Amino acid sequence: MADNKKIKRCPVSLQPDIEALLAEGGLSDADFAPATKQEQEDFIQERASVSYWKDAWRRLRKNVVAMVALGVIIFLILFAFVGPLLVPYGYDQFNKGAENLHPFHYALEDQVRLEEEIAARTETEVLDEETLMAQAEAEKGEPLTSVEKAIIRAQVKASSQSSQSAETVDENALRKELGIKKKLFGYSRAELEQKAAGESVFPHVFGTDMYGRDILVRVMYGARVSMAVGFFAALLVLVIGAIYGSVSGYCGGRVDAVMQRIVELIYSVPEMLVVLLIATALKPILTEYVNSGSGGPLKSFVTILGPNLISMFIAFGMLYWVTMSRIIRGQVLQLKQQEYVTAAKALGASGGRIIRRHLLPNCIGQIVVTTCLQIPSAIFLESFLSYLGVGVSAPLPSLGSMATDALSGMYTYTYRLIVPSVVLSVMILSFNLFGDGLRDALDPKLKK
Amino acid sequence: MGKYFAKRLGMAVVTIFLVTCVTFLLMNAVPGSPWLSEKTPSEATLAALNAKYGLDKPVIVQLFMYLKNLLHGDFGVSLKMQRNREVLSIILEMFPVSAKVGAIALCWAVLVGVPLGCLAAFKRGKLTDSILRVVCTLGISMPSFVVASVLLVVFAGGALKLFPTIFDASQGWRSYVLPCFSLGFYPMCYTARQTRSAMLDSLNQEYIKTARAKGLKNGKIIFKHALRNALIPVITYLGPQVAFTLCGGFVVESVFSIPGLGRYFVQSIQNRDYPVIMGTTIFLATFIILMNVVVDILYKVADPRISLTKGGD
Repeated sequence: MADNKKIKRCPVSLQPDIEALLAEGGLSDADFAPATKQEQEDFIQERASVSYWKDAWRRLRKNVVAMVALGVIIFLILFAFVGPLLVPYGYDQFNKGAENLHPFHYALEDQVRLEEEIAARTETEVLDEETLMAQAEAEKGEPLTSVEKAIIRAQVKASSQSSQSAETVDENALRKELGIKKKLFGYSRAELEQKAAGESVFPHVFGTDMYGRDILVRVMYGARVSMAVGFFAALLVLVIGAIYGSVSGYCGGRVDAVMQRIVELIYSVPEMLVVLLIATALKPILTEYVNSGSGGPLKSFVTILGPNLISMFIAFGMLYWVTMSRIIRGQVLQLKQQEYVTAAKALGASGGRIIRRHLLPNCIGQIVVTTCLQIPSAIFLESFLSYLGVGVSAPLPSLGSMATDALSGMYTYTYRLIVPSVVLSVMILSFNLFGDGLRDALDPKLKK
Repeated sequence: MGKYFAKRLGMAVVTIFLVTCVTFLLMNAVPGSPWLSEKTPSEATLAALNAKYGLDKPVIVQLFMYLKNLLHGDFGVSLKMQRNREVLSIILEMFPVSAKVGAIALCWAVLVGVPLGCLAAFKRGKLTDSILRVVCTLGISMPSFVVASVLLVVFAGGALKLFPTIFDASQGWRSYVLPCFSLGFYPMCYTARQTRSAMLDSLNQEYIKTARAKGLKNGKIIFKHALRNALIPVITYLGPQVAFTLCGGFVVESVFSIPGLGRYFVQSIQNRDYPVIMGTTIFLATFIILMNVVVDILYKVADPRISLTKGGD
């Protein structure tokens, strides 16, 4: 049959010679039989479907920087939420006798040695006002005038001050001389004695502040506040932005025009300024609301989270959804031209259903990336507000307010500034890096 | 062009109006009054004070009175911080200080940030690129108070006493170094990142290949062909940033005790000095919004491909 139908080919024809190809590959007609069931199943099994998320995860895993950032984020979450359970101090607990501890200590025997040495070296006996006055009176033979008394008091004061300063100068030099070395973690004298007596004492890893509050615990709570603000604010932005953007994009026409004018309006509002104002104004309003008599679920919700945090969420949520809504609107505008949307419409699906079931799931990549990059910017803003004293308020610590508190003793107690600053920066950095990695993984086209 | 300009300006006016109203209402919603923190005055004194400053009238009436005065250029007088001094004169005294620090900060941010971004894009994937990426990501992850206080500890205190800790304009350039550096660090890193990604985009374009094929030198390709197109997103970012930095970083001014508008704004919020808060907000908002308009128009002039009438993304 085949031979009969053979057509003479033009030698320069570009058409592939199927007969020749078949002969070359050793294929016969039998090879073109439909696959059996078994073969079909094998074929499917060999190519297990790779879902969108699996694919993204595979790409993300190869990104070393993003994975390290993810590790740091997980560590920080544990640090902030599990850490306070392990440390026996509270964030507003004043540890008496442990004020102004550095994050290092000297061993007990070394301290004793140092004191003995100082006592041996300082010959200037501590002058006592009363005895001096009695002496002077005896010399003079009559009661002292108030001027003379004042002079003696001033002398005593001056001498005690000079001896004190001499001692502190001595201490550091002496430590070097005696070869006393710093040891990690802060302990107060009393705690060292307890430790020597065999009790187990938890160290003040990062030292304590001027009221004897443990800095490690305060940093943990501060990190918790920052993360809570970051996550909730991002969530708020996600919800508002997704709804607004998709409705605006899907409806189009006049609705879109009006909604976009509003977006432009909010876009041109100076953010920092307004956030600062809203956070300041809402805090007392909410505080008054909490203190007012009426009950109800909303009030208990506000009370649990605290007026500070809520006012910050509101301030953040009111302004920052704009970016999210723009991104989603752009995506929806593209996606709604697709055939499956027309199909869904033809089947009678309502607008809400199309948005929920078809449009939003298809721009999930963008949504996730934008939400993830929203977290560090919320943390940034929270620390900024707390630093200026309008964010989280005492006694609840925040990394920003801890940095402000540390400014007063910045040069002597530098670690008080450094510890919260480093934690804050590392947190924001790792969220940023992870967000970048996520963007590359979810949307390889955007990779730069 | 004219139509677009008019529309943009109209939007700006509406925005300023809304910001004014919202600020006013917010300020009035806050419980407590400016008189409370001092010794509690008697009822009669309070009433007299309220009557004098018009605080006894309904909020709406107060708002309209305020708007009317505003249109006459009257920002009211300070109630607390510098009692009875004209708010406008306070603003005009503080603004130049902020503007000077801000201008220097922005200049160095742009002059360093853009070339660094170009360098990173040109050396893509090499060690230089990686180092710059790390530094810039770190830079946009550090809040300005962290940068400022670290600089203070290292350069102003301790062993090196190179620069004064407290800003003093009479001391000359020394007191400008640290504030300007910390104020410009974030914009610098951000600009560098933006420039890098925009440059990568434009280096992949066909006309760059053409330029290379013509045998142009690298410097000419980068600065004449690639950079011009890459600058659009950078300008977009810099627009609002210019206004914001000129008006003073709130934080940096607080850290270095710069007697500028930003610090004064924060102080007035803490002191609940309503007219000062209102005046500063309106001034800063107007400045920032107008700056946005100017930049919008500028960069659309710079790149004729951008359509003026369609508000695209």
